[in-house]
Amino acid sequence: MKAGFREFLRALEEAGELKRIKKPVDPRHLSALMAQAKEATLFESIAGYPDWRAAGALVATRKRLALALGCAEQDIAPRFEQGIRAPIAPRLVDRAPCQEVVLTGADVDLTRIPIPMMHVKDGGPYLSGTVVVSQDPEYGRNVGSYRMMYRTPRETSIDLVSSSDMRVYYQRALDAGRPLPIAVAVGTHPYELLAASYKAPIDGDEFAIAGGLHGAPVELVRCRTVDLEVPADAELVLEGELLPVGWTADEGPFGEFSHITGEVKWNPVFRVRAITHRRDPIFYVLQMPWENDWLAAPVIEAAGLQALRVASVEPVAIRAPVGGCCYWTLVASIKKRPGEGKNALLALLSVAEVKLAIVTDDDIDIGDPDELDWAMTFRVQADQDVLVVPGARGKHIDPSVRAGALGRGGLPTTAKLGIDATIPEGVPRAHYERLRYFLKDSVRLEDYA
Amino acid sequence: MSPLAQRLVDELTREPRHFGALVEAHLDVPWRDFLLAWGELRAADVLRRDDAGRYLIPGDAAPA
Repeated sequence: MKAGFREFLRALEEAGELKRIKKPVDPRHLSALMAQAKEATLFESIAGYPDWRAAGALVATRKRLALALGCAEQDIAPRFEQGIRAPIAPRLVDRAPCQEVVLTGADVDLTRIPIPMMHVKDGGPYLSGTVVVSQDPEYGRNVGSYRMMYRTPRETSIDLVSSSDMRVYYQRALDAGRPLPIAVAVGTHPYELLAASYKAPIDGDEFAIAGGLHGAPVELVRCRTVDLEVPADAELVLEGELLPVGWTADEGPFGEFSHITGEVKWNPVFRVRAITHRRDPIFYVLQMPWENDWLAAPVIEAAGLQALRVASVEPVAIRAPVGGCCYWTLVASIKKRPGEGKNALLALLSVAEVKLAIVTDDDIDIGDPDELDWAMTFRVQADQDVLVVPGARGKHIDPSVRAGALGRGGLPTTAKLGIDATIPEGVPRAHYERLRYFLKDSVRLEDYA
Repeated sequence: MSPLAQRLVDELTREPRHFGALVEAHLDVPWRDFLLAWGELRAADVLRRDDAGRYLIPGDAAPA
């Protein structure tokens, strides 16, 4: 049987990475308290919500992400790759913890869930750690992760501005004048969130990818009011539909994973038909921006490795640094043959919304910013080793794409930058021989203390 | 409309406010009660946004 949200909490605690707070906490204070904790946080009592607990900042560091993946920090990308290469189909079950309590009709009330207030300029309280399931008659199931802002006891808005498979599904439903049924699971193992963030082919099954990461099938249960399936071990599930109103409802601002306050967006409305949850539910607060950043890292790094291999370039190491929010920047070292610095750049810049790619030789430790600066200083001639690709697909939350000028529902473009910091063709490798101190290995400082 | 929702209407008719500023001005109110009142404003479809992301209610849109 695969691990779930609670097993991950236990793993964090065993590793000394979970702080328990026993005093009652107001939901308006959850994010501020999590931001002050060095560990992930489990709030055992929520003021005004006697049935609920809350937990968050679970994967807010690379160390805790590695714990979620059960590997060393440097092995995150290959571990993720290993999982997505061996998908395991999900398994349907009849009974599920996430349906121990079922609320429909007049009992549907989002204000009974401790949805927190996160950032100073947020447009409302947000559900942030969602695994959203939808279905298209032609393409099949899709699983993604989308933020949702509270509107009324039965409605949220949902950020569906960026290009995604579910945006395609919604557009197709909208064109047909019908709502799009969705189900939203909250409080799953990070594998489900990672799979939801992964840009699988439109006809691929993200739950099978999650199964590959777990090494066991994800157990799904049929929803009570919509024809969809959700992870049976989730803490909370919202069932309902995206109304066929298009991008008409104000949503945001929200503290974006780019570490800045976003803008008001125009988005669809999610109407909730049913709320199901465990008898003793734990609400998952995905703490922006850190958890979102780190959950993106393995997906982007693995996609980078894959793109390099497709381009017949041999990667040695890859990193999506947190300075680029683990999303917009990829740095890779390669075993280079002539011309492959540029081939590698072209491959890396094709990954999702990566807008800055840097490629080095395999003698550079890409985890060391000083090493990287050195390579960019002495192995780069700007007129020969810098690529700019204009007009590529961009993302709204990057202020430099000027998304505000696009109008409702418009998609931005961006320019991409590649820096080939490998040793230039024609320059002998010997010209880069590093300084070594004379007899360095023959003497020891402590012998002179 | 509940008294709290009416108070929020009065405040937003007077001047645009960020949601967080409204929440901070009513920290004495239980979170659930605040969200229920906010839901009343949403349901009444009176809320508008300005370029800074603040909520406002134009005078002619305020419910009686």
